[in-house]
Amino acid sequence: MKTLKAIYNFIVGDMIILVGILIIAIVLGLIANIGALAPLRVAIGPILIVAALATLSATLYREARGKR
Amino acid sequence: MEWAIASASFLASAVEFVEAFTIVLVVGITINWRSSLVGAFAAAATLAVIIGTLGVALVKWVPLGDLRLFVGIILILFGLKWLKKAILRYSGLKALHDEEAIFEETMAEVRARGGTIAPRVHPFGVALSYKAVLLEGLEVAFIVITFGSSIQSAAGNGNGIGSAAIGAAVAGVLVITAGVLVKAPLTKVPENTLKFVVGVMLTSFGTFWAAEGFNYNWPLTDAFIPILAVIFLAASYLLVLFLKQQKRRQLAASKAQVMEEVRP
Repeated sequence: MKTLKAIYNFIVGDMIILVGILIIAIVLGLIANIGALAPLRVAIGPILIVAALATLSATLYREARGKR
Repeated sequence: MEWAIASASFLASAVEFVEAFTIVLVVGITINWRSSLVGAFAAAATLAVIIGTLGVALVKWVPLGDLRLFVGIILILFGLKWLKKAILRYSGLKALHDEEAIFEETMAEVRARGGTIAPRVHPFGVALSYKAVLLEGLEVAFIVITFGSSIQSAAGNGNGIGSAAIGAAVAGVLVITAGVLVKAPLTKVPENTLKFVVGVMLTSFGTFWAAEGFNYNWPLTDAFIPILAVIFLAASYLLVLFLKQQKRRQLAASKAQVMEEVRP
């Protein structure tokens, strides 16, 4: 458990960032590999940019609320 | 010597060297040079083993797409972590004078007294530097092998791979020389600004590589990385403004509350 926590803290140390990026990676993986979602493949780049910014905004918003 | 292939290899490799060297440089400046160089040399050694073992078969056996995806996702995680801290500091929600700053101050004091502190190897810095150099180094190897092999198979003879390798090597030397020259001015940039820029860059590189790992073709290819950096920089700036506004509102609200409480 300690090792896992150390790896988590080393790589990211923030649950919102970790979960947000993992979810978007899974979603993009589905878009890239499922035929029915093929029309969305042209939007993988923009989706990733928006998702990264949304994740960043979410974690910052949580920090800002936590400081109240 | 195949000049056309050497020139093409030079240009393509220069782009990859710049990407790798940028990360080695920022790790060196923001964390420490020991960690950055340990990561870079370890990656170079790994590359030497991979290339020495697989040779031209490298193109067949190394899943570059999967590697890009893995490194990209990790870089996005690292980048967002740094960017979050830097934005919180700029917006005033996190003290600039945190434990890292205290550590830096202590080091400066020891240095002022004439003492020395051996810079410790920082695993985060080593990992960042290692991954960037390994990925970009593999891409350079792919460029050399694919460009070199294409001319060799087209002409039936000639030393295509040798020419491509010379082009790549010249690009590497030029990029490293240019990097050493810009190192000194970069050290004068305030540390938090530098960390902010590093966060933006890691996120930009990570987004670029992760999307490529999903077989997405960016418009303008590698030239899109600076555009990504501008997008993340602009968004971060807006987030800093938003958080500053939030902080002002909170202060005003708590002042009003205190005034109401002390009013008889």
